Amino acid sequence: MARKHREIGKAGWGYTAVTTFVGFIYFFPVFWIILTAFKTRTDALAVPPKLFFTPTLDNFTSVFYRTSISTGNSQATDMGLYFFNSIFIAGTSVGLALIVGTLAAYAFSRYPLRGNDTYLFIILTTRMMPPIVVIIPIFLMFRLSGLAGSYWGIILLYTAFNIPFSVWLVKSFFDELNPEIEDAARIDGSTEGRVFFRFCIPQILAGLAATFVFGLILTWNEFLFALLLTGVETRTVPVAMARTMGGEVGVDYGLLAAIVTLFLIPIFFVTFLLQNQLLRGVTFGTVKK
Amino acid sequence: MADTASQRGGFAAWLLDPKRRGALLVTPAITILFFMNIFPLLWSFGLSFFNYKASSLKVPTFRGLSNYERVLTDEKVWDRFQTTALIVGSSVVLQLIVGFLLALMFAKAFPMRRLVLMLVLTPMMLSFVSVGVFFKLFYEPTFGIVSYVLNFFTTEKFVLLGSPEGAILGIVIADAWMWSPFVMLLVLAGLVSVPKYLYEAAEIDRASKWRTFWTITFPYIKSLLLLAVLFRTIETFKLFDIVYIITDGGPGGMTETIAVYLYRTAFQFFKTSQSSALAYIVLFIVIVLTNLYLYAVNRRAEEID
Amino acid sequence: MTIELKNLTKRFGTLTAVDSVDLSIGDGEVLCLLGPSGCGKTTTLRMVAGLELATEGQVLLDDKDVTQRTARDRNVAMSFQFYALYPSLTVAENLAFPLHGEKLGKAEIDKRVAKISDTLQLGGILNRTPGQLAEGEKQRVAVGRSIIRDPTCFLFDEPLSRLDVQLREEMRGEIKLVLQDLSRPTVIVTHDQLEALTMADRIAVMRDGRIEQVDTPHNVFTRPNNLFVAGFIGTPQMNLLPATLVSAKESGIAEFAIDGGQSMTIEVDPRVTELSPGAKVTLGIRPRNLEISHEAIDGGLSTVIDMVEPMGAETLAHLSAGKHDLRLVTDWRVPLAEGDKVHTRFAPKTTHIFTEDEQVLRTP
Repeated sequence: MARKHREIGKAGWGYTAVTTFVGFIYFFPVFWIILTAFKTRTDALAVPPKLFFTPTLDNFTSVFYRTSISTGNSQATDMGLYFFNSIFIAGTSVGLALIVGTLAAYAFSRYPLRGNDTYLFIILTTRMMPPIVVIIPIFLMFRLSGLAGSYWGIILLYTAFNIPFSVWLVKSFFDELNPEIEDAARIDGSTEGRVFFRFCIPQILAGLAATFVFGLILTWNEFLFALLLTGVETRTVPVAMARTMGGEVGVDYGLLAAIVTLFLIPIFFVTFLLQNQLLRGVTFGTVKK
Repeated sequence: MADTASQRGGFAAWLLDPKRRGALLVTPAITILFFMNIFPLLWSFGLSFFNYKASSLKVPTFRGLSNYERVLTDEKVWDRFQTTALIVGSSVVLQLIVGFLLALMFAKAFPMRRLVLMLVLTPMMLSFVSVGVFFKLFYEPTFGIVSYVLNFFTTEKFVLLGSPEGAILGIVIADAWMWSPFVMLLVLAGLVSVPKYLYEAAEIDRASKWRTFWTITFPYIKSLLLLAVLFRTIETFKLFDIVYIITDGGPGGMTETIAVYLYRTAFQFFKTSQSSALAYIVLFIVIVLTNLYLYAVNRRAEEID
Repeated sequence: MTIELKNLTKRFGTLTAVDSVDLSIGDGEVLCLLGPSGCGKTTTLRMVAGLELATEGQVLLDDKDVTQRTARDRNVAMSFQFYALYPSLTVAENLAFPLHGEKLGKAEIDKRVAKISDTLQLGGILNRTPGQLAEGEKQRVAVGRSIIRDPTCFLFDEPLSRLDVQLREEMRGEIKLVLQDLSRPTVIVTHDQLEALTMADRIAVMRDGRIEQVDTPHNVFTRPNNLFVAGFIGTPQMNLLPATLVSAKESGIAEFAIDGGQSMTIEVDPRVTELSPGAKVTLGIRPRNLEISHEAIDGGLSTVIDMVEPMGAETLAHLSAGKHDLRLVTDWRVPLAEGDKVHTRFAPKTTHIFTEDEQVLRTP
């Protein structure tokens, strides 16, 4: 029998109806945004706001192709590039943070040093800092070293942002592993490297995936540093979104909504798949047992 | 136990020696952190003692603590702190209430729970910018839905962002809406971890609903609630994006949070050193809060076993 | 006050966990529900408590039909397998908890807590929280909390299963004393037969949701009604030997053929004459009722000793006769060595005969 009963009460379809209702009300602003993505410009700013209208896919195509009013030519926008940038930058930095963080976490867990808790605290503190605090020096640093506007600059920065979280979370996973399996492997003659890769990692694979997802969610939407430190070629979607608002004719809400909707899809999908692991990530692994 | 790498001898052996292995594994992480976080922090800390201006080419002179003095005696700064505190306070309280209620709702297993949960988790996944832009639209008196709906009850258009109170309310609602799901996740984790037989025992002991909640449920979620409060407080303290986009600190600078003010000082007014000083004061506050956070986390680990 | 279960049934979807259970428990009687995992004993207990509602049948507490009422409205007391102590309250507060629903003054509550604390020797730990208690202390607090009220009955779910052997012996005695003082019907669920045999006034042996036999511990041991009960009760387990009846006399002396060519003559219950020669039966004989000798016994069984396990004052030996295994328990002084050929006889009138339908053949 399990050590503690962890079942929660069951409820039926009636309850589902109620919760869906409440959930939808909460979701309504998002729903409205998605709706707006299908509206024409006039519909989007209709007075009073319209719930029913003829939908159009124009906004979605406009995201990727802009038709010049004067020449009538269709030109590809850079939005595809921006999407790529977001995916590339976020994915690489979170991945890098995970790798580097896992190594460090393994060290903290298996080879504790004397000041272990202090180091861990310091690492955590860097996460708790308002980005504002480091904005100025980093901006200067980047400018001086030529990293401004490059991929590697922003990737390194985001990696640094994600390391504390990765270290803490992955360490908690390592802490939970049964050391007997590793000892058995060692007795059988495996090197430390083998033990790490073939025994430890596979056991926490799900946890690593969750850490990756969580870091992704946090990095995906980052705006401030992206605003200051990416250039034209390396711009990410959040920055591009902000820029579409500085338009001549006022904000094109339909277009913006389309971007937001498209940008939401990858993260929505990934979150859905790893819902249960998110619970753990949010509490830094303190809710175990 | 064979360790073939160290048997090979040489540099590789020295590097991979068990004594140093820990340090070796930690190095990449620490290096990156150092350059990207710690070094800039130290630099900026240093800057706060000079009168550096990013816009001029003058050599900065040492000013000691005068920047800190200036900042702490500036009335505008205290105003901003107040505003920030108000926004943070209201938003966090709202998040707690809404998050808790949502958690109660999801504490049962029902068909399609995972899907419905996604509905509620989506706000967290939007970027601050999107939320800012669209909530600004929602609040718009002519085009926004909020005004439209309220029109059914009052006859006039509803202007939310025109007044300082309204603007703050607008920001608070947007922020709370985004992050209540986070609180919900934390509380839900706590609710789910309560062993069922405790509720059964309480049922047999004929405990009232209130007593059952207070004695059984609350201890399990207490530390998590505390975690939620601290985490959200720290994060909301840093609030920039939403404020910047919805109100741009207006009307008349009444909703300018510390973070927005910092941004202005540094990048619009180019008072680099001063903003460093202010930033460090903010950092100090955050560190104090962080310590509380850690303390709460540790208590959680030992408490329920 | 009494408990009555009539035709009590519980189904979860297509699974029938409890099947038409009829039980009557009198005032002050201790009844044990005993059986292997999954036999439905815990579900039955929970239905008495009101934590599960019956699919069919009735639960009557003190002649009142409470079948539709939930636990809250039944005024029962229950002690859980995992103790279910409220982790955030001290021992004293845990004990007092059930009394809050009864609107007693603080003075009265304190008095009762003190009394229970005396009875169960909880004086030293009243201010500790469950997290700071040893297993045995937790157990006592759990028992204390359930007896502090004045409920219609007491229910215990595997009360001793989490204690080590020594503690278990101590607690068995203590609980028995405590239960004797209270005169309410008590139901204990356990999978440990020793617990059941020592603590119960009657035992209900369950299997697959049904009651196989309800009887005093002594009877359940000496007069099992069917093959299951016979094999379940008693350590080491009763020997169950398939055999074929060759001939039977009125006096009860019968000859059986054992698979493998041997035959035995045993004195059994006279009802054996109801069977015709050639009938297939199972012979049940307890390990302590086997007699052995190094010389041939007339009508006995010749066996080989496979393994000898010294148990201190007694020795357990595993014998084999052809492809059948028998367990023997005898005094430690009897010389036994592996490989020995010994002859064994079943002591007169100690053999149970079970017919093909697994029921016992016995004169009532």
